[in-house]
Amino acid sequence: MASIVRPALLRQACNAAPTKRMASNLASSTMRHASPLSRRPMQSAFVQDALPKASRVAAFHATGCRPILPPLPQKIEGTLNDPTPIPDPAPTHGSYHWSFERLVSAGLVPLCVAPFAAGSLNPAMDATLCALLLVHSHIGFESCIIDYFPSRRVPGVRIFLTWLLRAATVTVGVALYSFETNDVGITEAITKIWHA
Amino acid sequence: MSAPRVLNLTLRRAATPGLTRFTPAGRSVQQRFAATEHISASDASSILVKQRLARPVSPHLSIYRPQITWYASGFNRLAGIAMSGTMYIFGIAYLAAPALGWHLETPSLVAAFGALPLVAKVAAKMTIAFPFFFHSFNGVRHLVWDVGMGFANKTVMRTGWTVVGLSVLGSLYFSVFV
Amino acid sequence: MATTRALTRLAVRRTAVPAVWTRSFASVDTTPREPIAKAGDPSRPTVPESKTSTIKEPTPAKEAKTKTFHIYRWNPDEPSSKPRMQSYTLDLNKTGPMVLDALIRIKNEVDPTLTFRRSCREGICGSCAMNIDGVNTLACLCRIPTDTSKESRIYPLPHTYVVKDLVPDLTHFYKQYRSIKPYLQRNTPPPDGRENRQSIADRKKLDGLYECILCACCSTSCPSYWWNQEEYLGPAVLLQSYRWIADSRDEKKAERQDALNNSMSLYRCHTILNCSRTCPKGLNPALAIAEIKKGMSFT
Repeated sequence: MASIVRPALLRQACNAAPTKRMASNLASSTMRHASPLSRRPMQSAFVQDALPKASRVAAFHATGCRPILPPLPQKIEGTLNDPTPIPDPAPTHGSYHWSFERLVSAGLVPLCVAPFAAGSLNPAMDATLCALLLVHSHIGFESCIIDYFPSRRVPGVRIFLTWLLRAATVTVGVALYSFETNDVGITEAITKIWHA
Repeated sequence: MSAPRVLNLTLRRAATPGLTRFTPAGRSVQQRFAATEHISASDASSILVKQRLARPVSPHLSIYRPQITWYASGFNRLAGIAMSGTMYIFGIAYLAAPALGWHLETPSLVAAFGALPLVAKVAAKMTIAFPFFFHSFNGVRHLVWDVGMGFANKTVMRTGWTVVGLSVLGSLYFSVFV
Repeated sequence: MATTRALTRLAVRRTAVPAVWTRSFASVDTTPREPIAKAGDPSRPTVPESKTSTIKEPTPAKEAKTKTFHIYRWNPDEPSSKPRMQSYTLDLNKTGPMVLDALIRIKNEVDPTLTFRRSCREGICGSCAMNIDGVNTLACLCRIPTDTSKESRIYPLPHTYVVKDLVPDLTHFYKQYRSIKPYLQRNTPPPDGRENRQSIADRKKLDGLYECILCACCSTSCPSYWWNQEEYLGPAVLLQSYRWIADSRDEKKAERQDALNNSMSLYRCHTILNCSRTCPKGLNPALAIAEIKKGMSFT
C-alpha cells in the first residue's frame, strides 16, 4: 500500500518546493483561509475538471503556428502626459496621394466597361487603361507594404519590398508597352481568350 | 470566532498542500502577511516598463465576429492582390518569354485556353471573373463612401451584400454564357 | 456542510488513492505552469477553455437558467504564463440583465480574482469596454443573450496589451488623443469679450461627434489600427480630431489638418467600417474620417 502512496506524496512534496512564488502563494493562501468571506479555496478544490480524460494527452504539435504580424513587446515612449509625436506634413504621401488614387480608381470604372461593352479597339484608350491599371496596382501593392511591413518593425524588409515593387512596376510597364505595340492589346487579348 | 468555524478553518489548513506544519486557525486569523514598502517614482516606472515587456496582446483577428464590413474589405484587398499579382507575373513572364523560349503571345494563349475542357474553361473564367467583379463593385462602393455617402450601418450592410450578390451573378453570367 | 467537505478532502489526501484518481480533485493553477511560448512573447497563444477548468454557479438552484461564460484571464504575477480562457457558469435567474452584472456577480460570489474596469454601469464612462461575443462593446450596455445553449465569450479589447484579465493598457491611445490637441484653439478674443458664440447650424455639425466617450471600442475593432497602432491614430482619435476641425469657433483648422496630412496618421483608414458597426454609442467614426479626407483633398 505504501508503495502506491509514495509517488503521490512525492509529487506533492515537489510541488511544495520552496520557490519564491510558492512562498507568496503560501502566504496568500493562508490569508485567504484567514478571511471568513473567501470561498475560493473550497471552490478550487472541488472544481470539476472539464477536460475529458482522453485529451489530457499533451497536444501533438511541437511547433506552434507562427502568428501573422507578431506584435512587439509593449514599449511606450515618454510618460502618459506626453503626446505621441506628430509627423511632419507630407501631402505627397497624404492628401495629394489620396486624391490621385481616387481619381485613378474613378477613371478605371468607365475604362473597364467601355471597351468590352462597345467593342472599341481604340489603341489610345487601351494604353490609358493599361497605364491606369498599372498605377492602381502599384498604389495597391504599396499600401499593402505600408500596412503589413512597418518600417518600425521590419525596416530592411520594408525597404527591400518597396524597391522590389518599383522595379516590378517598371518591368511590367515595359512589358505592357511591348504587349500593346507588338501584340493585339490587352482588351482584345482578353476578349479573344474569353471566347476561345 | 465560533467553534465550528475554527474547526473548519483548521481542517482546511491541514488539507492544504504545501502547508505541512499544523497550525490552529484561531491564532493566525488576525495575522497579516502583506507588507507595504515605499517605491520611488523612477523605480515604479522601471517596474512598469518591465511589466509592459511581459504583457500579452489580446486576441484579435481570430476572435472578432465575422461581419460583412471587414470580411468584404479583406476580400477586396485579396482580390486586388490576386489580380494585380497575376498581371505582374504575366508581364514579367511576357518580357522573359523570348529568352526562355515560352510562347505567351495572344494566338498561342488563345489556342492553349481553347484546348481546355469546358468545365476547366468555366472554372478558370469563374476564378478570374469573381474577384474582378467583386473588386470593381466594391471599388464603386468605396468611391461612394469617399464622397461621404452611405455610412449608415444598415446601408453599409445592404450595399455589402448587394455587392456580393451582384458579383456572384455577374461572374456566373460572364463565365457560363459569354 | 463545509466541515464535511473539508473532512472529505482530508480523507482523500490521506488515503492511498492512485494519482490518476486524485487528479480530478486537483485545485486550479496552484503550481506555476511551464510556459511553452518564450517569456514576454506578446503573441503567445491563448489556452482554450477546453483545457482549463470550469467554475460552477456558487448556489445552484432547481430550474436554473445556467449560462456558461468563457472569460480571458491573464495574471501579471506570472509574467511568462500564457493567457487562458476560464469558464464560469451562472444562473441567469440570480444575475442582472447585463454582461457587467454577470461579471460583477462572478467577482463578488465566485472568483474574486477576476479583474475588469467598471465605473458608471450606464454607458457614459466607457470603462467597461471589452470584446463580448466577438464584438467590442460596453459590458454595461450589452444584454446577456438569454439563449442558455450558447456560451458567451468575453475578451479584452482586441490587439491591446493586457494589464490583467479584461483590463487593456490604453496609455498609447490616450497619448494619441493628446497629440490631436483636443481643446479649443483661438488667437482672437470673442467679439463681445464674453464667450465664443456659435450659430445653431454650426452647433449642429458637432452632433454625433461630441458624444464620443473614448471607450476605444472602435479603434480596437479596426484591423488597420491592429497592425499600425503606433502610427495610425485610429477611428476614435480621428473622430475627436474632426470634432475640433468641424468646430466653427476653432481657428487652427489648417494646423489640425496638416498634423494628419501624412501617410500614417489618417490615411491608414481603408474604410473597413468596423468602427461604425461596433460603436456602443451609435456614433459614426467612419463618416467623420471620410469628412476629414474630403476636406483635405486637393489641399
